[in-house]
Amino acid sequence: MKELRLVVQKFDPFSDAAPRLVEYAVPRREGMTVLDALLYARDYVDHSIGLRFSCRQASCGSCGMKINGRPRLACYTQVDELGAEKVVAQPLDNFAIIKDLVTDLGSFFQRHREVTPRLVRDDAQEQDHPTGEYLMKPEELSRVLQFTYCIKCGLCTSSCPTVATDERFPGPQALAQAYRYTADVRDQGGAERMAELDGTHGIWRCHFAGSCSYVCPKGVDPALGIQLLKRHVMSGRPPHSKDDATKVWKPAEKQQ
Amino acid sequence: MKESRLMLLQYSTAVLAVVLVAIHLVMQGIATPYSTAISYATILSIYRTWFYAIFLEALLVVVLVHGFNGVRIILHEWRQTAPWSRWVDLGTVVAIVATVAFGSRTVILAVFGGVAG
Repeated sequence: MKELRLVVQKFDPFSDAAPRLVEYAVPRREGMTVLDALLYARDYVDHSIGLRFSCRQASCGSCGMKINGRPRLACYTQVDELGAEKVVAQPLDNFAIIKDLVTDLGSFFQRHREVTPRLVRDDAQEQDHPTGEYLMKPEELSRVLQFTYCIKCGLCTSSCPTVATDERFPGPQALAQAYRYTADVRDQGGAERMAELDGTHGIWRCHFAGSCSYVCPKGVDPALGIQLLKRHVMSGRPPHSKDDATKVWKPAEKQQ
Repeated sequence: MKESRLMLLQYSTAVLAVVLVAIHLVMQGIATPYSTAISYATILSIYRTWFYAIFLEALLVVVLVHGFNGVRIILHEWRQTAPWSRWVDLGTVVAIVATVAFGSRTVILAVFGGVAG
Protein backbone atom coordinates (compact mmCIF):
# COMPACT_ATOMS: atom_id res chain seq x y z
CA MET A 1 0.00 0.00 0.00
CA LYS A 2 1.28 3.46 -0.86
CA GLU A 3 2.17 5.68 2.03
CA LEU A 4 1.21 9.31 2.46
CA ARG A 5 3.66 11.72 4.05
CA LEU A 6 1.53 13.74 6.42
CA VAL A 7 3.19 16.77 8.00
CA VAL A 8 1.43 18.38 10.94
CA GLN A 9 2.37 21.67 12.56
CA LYS A 10 2.51 21.04 16.31
CA PHE A 11 2.44 23.80 18.87
CA ASP A 12 1.26 24.03 22.45
CA PRO A 13 1.40 27.67 23.56
CA PHE A 14 1.75 26.56 27.20
CA SER A 15 4.84 24.41 26.71
CA ASP A 16 6.41 25.11 23.30
CA ALA A 17 8.57 28.07 22.38
CA ALA A 18 7.80 27.83 18.67
CA PRO A 19 5.73 25.72 16.24
CA ARG A 20 7.44 22.69 14.69
CA LEU A 21 6.57 20.42 11.78
CA VAL A 22 6.26 16.69 12.50
CA GLU A 23 6.02 14.13 9.72
CA TYR A 24 3.94 10.95 9.92
CA ALA A 25 3.64 8.01 7.52
CA VAL A 26 0.00 7.18 6.85
CA PRO A 27 -1.33 4.33 4.65
CA ARG A 28 -2.88 5.97 1.61
CA ARG A 29 -6.19 4.73 0.19
CA GLU A 30 -8.53 5.85 -2.53
CA GLY A 31 -11.01 8.51 -1.48
CA MET A 32 -9.07 9.34 1.65
CA THR A 33 -9.65 12.85 2.97
CA VAL A 34 -7.07 14.88 4.85
CA LEU A 35 -9.24 14.46 7.95
CA ASP A 36 -9.10 10.68 7.51
CA ALA A 37 -5.30 10.89 7.34
CA LEU A 38 -5.11 13.10 10.42
CA LEU A 39 -7.43 10.82 12.39
CA TYR A 40 -5.32 7.79 11.39
CA ALA A 41 -2.17 9.57 12.57
CA ARG A 42 -3.82 10.57 15.82
CA ASP A 43 -5.34 7.14 16.50
CA TYR A 44 -2.37 4.96 15.55
CA VAL A 45 0.79 7.08 15.58
CA ASP A 46 0.63 10.15 17.82
CA HIS A 47 -2.26 10.53 20.25
CA SER A 48 -1.21 14.08 21.09
CA ILE A 49 -2.19 15.64 17.74
CA GLY A 50 -4.74 18.35 18.47
CA LEU A 51 -7.48 18.79 15.86
CA ARG A 52 -11.15 19.76 15.83
CA PHE A 53 -13.81 18.10 13.71
CA SER A 54 -17.42 17.04 13.93
CA CYS A 55 -19.73 16.32 10.98
CA ARG A 56 -17.20 15.01 8.41
CA GLN A 57 -19.42 16.33 5.58
CA ALA A 58 -18.54 20.04 5.24
CA SER A 59 -21.58 21.14 7.19
CA CYS A 60 -20.24 22.18 10.57
CA GLY A 61 -17.08 24.07 9.59
CA SER A 62 -15.08 22.70 12.51
CA CYS A 63 -12.11 21.21 10.66
CA GLY A 64 -10.89 24.35 8.89
CA MET A 65 -7.11 24.38 8.57
CA LYS A 66 -4.36 25.35 6.16
CA ILE A 67 -3.65 22.40 3.88
CA ASN A 68 -0.64 22.72 1.61
CA GLY A 69 -0.69 26.46 2.18
CA ARG A 70 -4.37 27.11 1.44
CA PRO A 71 -7.26 27.32 3.93
CA ARG A 72 -9.55 24.32 3.39
CA LEU A 73 -11.87 21.99 5.27
CA ALA A 74 -9.96 18.79 6.08
CA CYS A 75 -13.10 16.66 5.69
CA TYR A 76 -13.86 18.16 2.27
CA THR A 77 -10.36 17.82 0.81
CA GLN A 78 -9.34 14.51 -0.67
CA VAL A 79 -5.66 13.66 -0.57
CA ASP A 80 -5.72 12.74 -4.27
CA GLU A 81 -7.10 16.11 -5.35
CA LEU A 82 -4.07 17.84 -3.85
CA GLY A 83 -1.84 16.08 -6.36
CA ALA A 84 1.11 16.02 -3.96
CA GLU A 85 3.12 13.29 -2.27
CA LYS A 86 3.19 15.28 0.93
CA VAL A 87 0.27 16.87 2.76
CA VAL A 88 1.12 19.71 5.15
CA ALA A 89 -1.56 20.59 7.71
CA GLN A 90 -1.20 23.85 9.61
CA PRO A 91 -3.58 25.93 11.74
CA LEU A 92 -5.57 28.76 10.11
CA ASP A 93 -3.86 32.13 9.87
CA ASN A 94 -5.29 35.21 11.62
CA PHE A 95 -6.40 33.18 14.67
CA ALA A 96 -4.63 32.38 17.92
CA ILE A 97 -3.55 28.75 18.25
CA ILE A 98 -5.07 26.75 21.10
CA LYS A 99 -3.12 23.61 20.26
CA ASP A 100 -1.65 22.23 17.03
CA LEU A 101 -4.43 22.58 14.41
CA VAL A 102 -7.05 23.94 16.79
CA THR A 103 -7.51 27.71 16.62
CA ASP A 104 -9.46 30.09 18.82
CA LEU A 105 -12.51 31.25 16.86
CA GLY A 106 -13.86 33.37 19.74
CA SER A 107 -13.08 36.73 18.09
CA PHE A 108 -14.52 35.42 14.82
CA PHE A 109 -17.88 34.59 16.37
CA GLN A 110 -17.84 37.87 18.29
CA ARG A 111 -17.46 39.81 15.03
CA HIS A 112 -20.31 37.77 13.60
CA ARG A 113 -22.56 38.67 16.56
CA GLU A 114 -21.69 42.37 16.25
CA VAL A 115 -23.36 42.73 12.82
CA THR A 116 -26.70 41.59 14.30
CA PRO A 117 -26.97 38.44 12.18
CA ARG A 118 -30.72 37.98 12.47
CA LEU A 119 -33.89 39.49 11.07
CA VAL A 120 -34.70 42.69 12.95
CA ARG A 121 -38.37 43.67 12.94
CA ASP A 122 -40.54 46.28 14.56
CA ASP A 123 -43.59 44.06 14.93
CA ALA A 124 -42.68 42.31 18.18
CA GLN A 125 -46.33 41.55 18.85
CA GLU A 126 -46.61 39.62 15.57
CA GLN A 127 -43.48 37.64 16.34
CA ASP A 128 -44.66 36.75 19.83
CA HIS A 129 -48.15 35.85 18.62
CA PRO A 130 -47.90 35.09 14.88
CA THR A 131 -51.00 35.49 12.76
CA GLY A 132 -49.38 34.70 9.40
CA GLU A 133 -46.07 34.33 7.54
CA TYR A 134 -43.38 36.62 6.15
CA LEU A 135 -43.21 35.60 2.51
CA MET A 136 -40.41 36.24 0.00
CA LYS A 137 -40.59 36.24 -3.78
CA PRO A 138 -38.11 33.94 -5.56
CA GLU A 139 -36.16 36.91 -6.94
CA GLU A 140 -35.92 38.39 -3.45
CA LEU A 141 -34.63 35.10 -2.12
CA SER A 142 -32.05 34.82 -4.90
CA ARG A 143 -30.43 38.09 -3.74
CA VAL A 144 -29.41 36.54 -0.44
CA LEU A 145 -29.56 32.79 -0.97
CA GLN A 146 -25.85 32.10 -1.53
CA PHE A 147 -24.94 33.99 1.65
CA THR A 148 -27.19 31.73 3.70
CA TYR A 149 -24.88 28.82 2.83
CA CYS A 150 -22.15 30.16 5.14
CA ILE A 151 -21.13 27.52 7.71
CA LYS A 152 -18.91 29.89 9.73
CA CYS A 153 -15.78 27.82 9.24
CA GLY A 154 -13.51 30.88 9.31
CA LEU A 155 -11.59 30.08 6.11
CA CYS A 156 -12.48 33.43 4.52
CA THR A 157 -11.39 35.38 7.58
CA SER A 158 -8.20 33.35 7.75
CA SER A 159 -7.30 34.29 4.17
CA CYS A 160 -8.20 37.99 4.43
CA PRO A 161 -5.17 40.32 4.22
CA THR A 162 -7.04 43.14 5.96
CA VAL A 163 -7.95 40.97 8.95
CA ALA A 164 -4.24 40.14 9.20
CA THR A 165 -3.36 43.79 9.80
CA ASP A 166 -6.50 45.44 11.19
CA GLU A 167 -7.82 43.76 14.31
CA ARG A 168 -10.95 45.95 14.31
CA PHE A 169 -11.99 44.99 10.78
CA PRO A 170 -15.11 42.76 11.02
CA GLY A 171 -13.83 40.37 8.34
CA PRO A 172 -15.47 38.93 5.22
CA GLN A 173 -17.73 36.46 6.99
CA ALA A 174 -19.34 39.06 9.26
CA LEU A 175 -19.68 41.60 6.46
CA ALA A 176 -21.21 39.09 4.06
CA GLN A 177 -23.70 38.16 6.75
CA ALA A 178 -24.45 41.84 7.32
CA TYR A 179 -25.37 42.03 3.65
CA ARG A 180 -27.32 38.78 3.84
CA TYR A 181 -29.67 40.18 6.51
CA THR A 182 -29.74 43.77 5.28
CA ALA A 183 -30.77 42.66 1.77
CA ASP A 184 -33.45 40.34 3.14
CA VAL A 185 -36.86 41.93 2.47
CA ARG A 186 -38.15 40.62 5.79
CA ASP A 187 -35.53 42.66 7.67
CA GLN A 188 -36.02 46.18 9.02
CA GLY A 189 -32.67 46.73 10.69
CA GLY A 190 -30.58 47.69 7.66
CA ALA A 191 -30.05 51.36 8.51
CA GLU A 192 -28.79 50.59 12.02
CA ARG A 193 -26.55 47.79 10.75
CA MET A 194 -25.04 49.97 8.02
CA ALA A 195 -24.43 52.86 10.44
CA GLU A 196 -22.26 50.51 12.49
CA LEU A 197 -20.31 49.33 9.47
CA ASP A 198 -19.69 52.77 7.98
CA GLY A 199 -16.78 53.51 10.32
CA THR A 200 -13.02 53.89 10.05
CA HIS A 201 -12.50 50.14 10.40
CA GLY A 202 -15.70 49.03 8.68
CA ILE A 203 -16.45 47.90 5.14
CA TRP A 204 -14.20 50.48 3.48
CA ARG A 205 -11.10 48.71 4.69
CA CYS A 206 -11.89 45.82 2.31
CA HIS A 207 -9.52 46.18 -0.67
CA PHE A 208 -11.28 43.49 -2.68
CA ALA A 209 -8.40 41.02 -2.71
CA GLY A 210 -11.04 38.34 -3.26
CA SER A 211 -9.19 35.64 -1.35
CA CYS A 212 -12.26 35.13 0.87
CA SER A 213 -14.34 34.07 -2.11
CA TYR A 214 -11.49 31.97 -3.49
CA VAL A 215 -11.20 29.78 -0.39
CA CYS A 216 -14.89 29.45 0.60
CA PRO A 217 -15.71 25.72 0.61
CA LYS A 218 -19.44 26.37 0.17
CA GLY A 219 -19.19 28.57 -2.93
CA VAL A 220 -20.23 31.73 -1.12
CA ASP A 221 -18.83 34.98 -2.54
CA PRO A 222 -18.22 37.19 0.52
CA ALA A 223 -16.29 39.73 -1.57
CA LEU A 224 -19.41 40.28 -3.68
CA GLY A 225 -21.51 40.77 -0.55
CA ILE A 226 -19.09 43.38 0.74
CA GLN A 227 -19.10 45.31 -2.56
CA LEU A 228 -22.92 45.26 -2.63
CA LEU A 229 -22.94 46.49 0.95
CA LYS A 230 -20.54 49.31 -0.03
CA ARG A 231 -22.93 50.34 -2.80
CA HIS A 232 -25.83 50.56 -0.41
CA VAL A 233 -23.84 52.42 2.24
CA MET A 234 -22.52 54.89 -0.36
CA SER A 235 -26.02 55.58 -1.62
CA GLY A 236 -27.21 56.07 1.95
CA ARG A 237 -30.07 53.65 1.44
CA PRO A 238 -30.46 50.03 2.55
CA PRO A 239 -31.38 47.54 -0.21
CA HIS A 240 -34.97 48.09 0.78
CA SER A 241 -36.62 50.53 3.16
CA LYS A 242 -38.35 49.68 6.40
CA ASP A 243 -41.67 50.38 4.68
CA ASP A 244 -40.82 47.94 1.91
CA ALA A 245 -40.22 45.11 4.38
CA THR A 246 -42.43 42.11 3.84
CA LYS A 247 -45.82 42.44 5.42
CA VAL A 248 -47.38 39.60 7.29
CA TRP A 249 -49.37 37.35 4.97
CA LYS A 250 -52.39 35.79 6.60
CA PRO A 251 -53.16 32.21 5.56
CA ALA A 252 -56.43 33.38 3.95
CA GLU A 253 -54.61 35.97 1.76
CA LYS A 254 -52.06 33.39 0.70
CA GLN A 255 -54.71 31.13 -0.77
CA GLN A 256 -56.19 33.90 -2.97
CA MET B 1 -17.67 62.74 8.81
CA LYS B 2 -18.84 59.25 7.86
CA GLU B 3 -16.23 57.01 6.28
CA SER B 4 -18.43 56.56 3.20
CA ARG B 5 -18.34 60.33 2.57
CA LEU B 6 -14.55 60.32 2.92
CA MET B 7 -14.27 57.41 0.51
CA LEU B 8 -16.57 59.20 -1.95
CA LEU B 9 -14.21 62.18 -1.66
CA GLN B 10 -11.25 59.84 -2.25
CA TYR B 11 -12.77 58.30 -5.37
CA SER B 12 -13.95 61.62 -6.84
CA THR B 13 -10.59 63.34 -6.23
CA ALA B 14 -8.87 60.36 -7.88
CA VAL B 15 -10.94 60.81 -11.04
CA LEU B 16 -10.50 64.57 -10.97
CA ALA B 17 -6.75 64.24 -10.43
CA VAL B 18 -6.41 62.02 -13.52
CA VAL B 19 -8.33 64.57 -15.63
CA LEU B 20 -6.51 67.63 -14.26
CA VAL B 21 -3.04 66.07 -14.47
CA ALA B 22 -3.75 64.99 -18.05
CA ILE B 23 -4.76 68.54 -18.98
CA HIS B 24 -1.71 69.87 -17.16
CA LEU B 25 0.61 67.56 -19.11
CA VAL B 26 -1.03 68.50 -22.40
CA MET B 27 -0.64 72.19 -21.60
CA GLN B 28 2.96 71.87 -20.51
CA GLY B 29 4.19 69.32 -23.00
CA ILE B 30 2.14 69.77 -26.16
CA ALA B 31 0.36 73.15 -26.21
CA THR B 32 3.56 74.82 -25.09
CA PRO B 33 6.88 73.25 -26.17
CA TYR B 34 8.49 71.65 -23.14
CA SER B 35 11.72 73.61 -23.60
CA THR B 36 9.92 76.91 -23.00
CA ALA B 37 7.17 75.58 -20.70
CA ILE B 38 9.34 75.70 -17.61
CA SER B 39 10.97 79.04 -18.24
CA TYR B 40 10.38 81.67 -15.55
CA ALA B 41 8.54 84.07 -17.85
CA THR B 42 6.21 81.38 -19.24
CA ILE B 43 5.31 80.09 -15.82
CA LEU B 44 4.60 83.56 -14.50
CA SER B 45 2.39 84.32 -17.47
CA ILE B 46 0.49 81.09 -16.84
CA TYR B 47 -0.10 82.06 -13.21
CA ARG B 48 -1.34 85.48 -14.27
CA THR B 49 -4.00 84.07 -16.56
CA TRP B 50 -7.15 83.65 -14.46
CA PHE B 51 -8.16 80.38 -16.09
CA TYR B 52 -4.78 78.79 -15.43
CA ALA B 53 -4.59 80.19 -11.91
CA ILE B 54 -7.94 78.60 -11.03
CA PHE B 55 -6.90 75.40 -12.78
CA LEU B 56 -3.62 75.18 -10.84
CA GLU B 57 -5.39 75.92 -7.55
CA ALA B 58 -7.89 73.13 -8.29
CA LEU B 59 -5.05 70.75 -9.15
CA LEU B 60 -3.31 71.65 -5.90
CA VAL B 61 -6.41 71.02 -3.75
CA VAL B 62 -7.46 67.82 -5.52
CA VAL B 63 -4.04 66.17 -5.40
CA LEU B 64 -3.34 67.14 -1.79
CA VAL B 65 -6.76 66.02 -0.51
CA HIS B 66 -6.44 62.71 -2.35
CA GLY B 67 -2.86 62.14 -1.22
CA PHE B 68 -3.30 62.96 2.45
CA ASN B 69 -6.62 61.12 2.69
CA GLY B 70 -4.87 58.08 1.21
CA VAL B 71 -2.11 58.34 3.80
CA ARG B 72 -4.80 58.62 6.50
CA ILE B 73 -6.34 55.33 5.32
CA ILE B 74 -2.95 53.57 5.35
CA LEU B 75 -2.18 54.87 8.85
CA HIS B 76 -5.58 53.73 10.14
CA GLU B 77 -4.85 50.23 8.84
CA TRP B 78 -1.38 50.29 10.36
CA ARG B 79 -2.52 50.77 13.96
CA GLN B 80 -5.96 50.66 15.52
CA THR B 81 -5.81 52.33 18.92
CA ALA B 82 -8.27 55.14 19.66
CA PRO B 83 -5.60 57.82 20.40
CA TRP B 84 -3.77 56.89 17.20
CA SER B 85 -6.99 57.25 15.19
CA ARG B 86 -7.68 60.68 16.67
CA TRP B 87 -4.15 61.93 15.94
CA VAL B 88 -4.24 60.56 12.41
CA ASP B 89 -7.54 62.31 11.64
CA LEU B 90 -6.35 65.57 13.19
CA GLY B 91 -2.96 65.35 11.50
CA THR B 92 -4.61 64.79 8.12
CA VAL B 93 -6.74 67.92 8.42
CA VAL B 94 -3.76 69.99 9.58
CA ALA B 95 -1.55 68.66 6.78
CA ILE B 96 -4.16 69.39 4.10
CA VAL B 97 -4.89 72.90 5.38
CA ALA B 98 -1.18 73.77 5.78
CA THR B 99 -0.06 72.49 2.38
CA VAL B 100 -3.05 73.94 0.52
CA ALA B 101 -2.41 77.29 2.25
CA PHE B 102 1.28 77.21 1.32
CA GLY B 103 0.55 76.26 -2.29
CA SER B 104 -2.23 78.83 -2.56
CA ARG B 105 0.17 81.48 -1.33
CA THR B 106 2.31 80.93 -4.42
CA VAL B 107 -0.69 81.18 -6.73
CA ILE B 108 -2.04 84.29 -4.99
CA LEU B 109 1.33 86.05 -4.98
CA ALA B 110 1.83 85.33 -8.66
CA VAL B 111 -1.70 86.39 -9.65
CA PHE B 112 -1.66 89.64 -7.68
CA GLY B 113 1.83 90.66 -8.63
CA GLY B 114 3.66 89.71 -5.48
CA VAL B 115 6.34 88.10 -7.62
CA ALA B 116 8.63 90.22 -9.81
CA GLY B 117 7.94 89.79 -13.54
